[in-house]
Amino acid sequence: MSEETQKPAPAAPAADAPRSEEAPRPETPRREGGGGFGGPGSHGPRREGGPGGPRREGGGPGGPRRGKRQFFRKKKVCKFCVERIDYIDYKKVEMLQPFVQDRGKILPRRMTGTCSRHQRWLTSAIKRARNIAMLAFATEL
Amino acid sequence: MEARQYDLIFICRPDTPEAEVDKIIATLEHSAAEKAGKIEKTEKWGTRRLAYRVDKNREGQYIYMLLSGTHGDMIHELERRLKVADPVIKYQTVRLDEEHKRQKKLTIRRERRAARRPRKAAPAPGEAGEAAAAS
Repeated sequence: MSEETQKPAPAAPAADAPRSEEAPRPETPRREGGGGFGGPGSHGPRREGGPGGPRREGGGPGGPRRGKRQFFRKKKVCKFCVERIDYIDYKKVEMLQPFVQDRGKILPRRMTGTCSRHQRWLTSAIKRARNIAMLAFATEL
Repeated sequence: MEARQYDLIFICRPDTPEAEVDKIIATLEHSAAEKAGKIEKTEKWGTRRLAYRVDKNREGQYIYMLLSGTHGDMIHELERRLKVADPVIKYQTVRLDEEHKRQKKLTIRRERRAARRPRKAAPAPGEAGEAAAAS
């Protein structure tokens, strides 16, 4: 992760001569790649190419921020759209299980690649299943 | 007024004898009939492990019912009965007719759309099947 951020960094101080007081600052490992979010205010972070990109929102590899990258690149296809499922039954726990974390939390859309409509239906189904003790609200690891 | 459809699931304690469970089901049928409702289907899913402890039980007997009726009063009555029944530890009613209506509408719309335009190649799993069949 941090190797990619540091690769273009040696080029940055050379080009950033007028802003030299900021460029040689030691790189923090959580330097954001997109949009200069919380960056040092210079144009250094935004110049980085690669998966960061300006303002690439959800679905891009690794998600919108370079900070947390647990799942590298989840498939972007909505499983329900592909299989043409029109009704997500809360009683079928095995269908809901892949969309729930080990801890019982519902996985966000950008991790599973579900479309927004199916994510809404899925959330209602998971909450109904939780109410009837088929799925847990929260589990201790 | 169209008939409404409901899903009713309730959980009994795991050590409840079969006779008690049948008695509860009979009571519910009776109450539903009083309120002009009908129990279309009853299923016993047997003893299952619960995802969390309910009333200090880790397992429970699941009973599932499919109901139809024209009045919401029926559900109030049934839930009242379930609340006072001792062996029942949890229950949930879900209204389903609106969702089924929407599902049917989507299916019909999709079929109509598929029939209208020239049928292109089927979605990926279908294509893979055809390719495998062709080769």
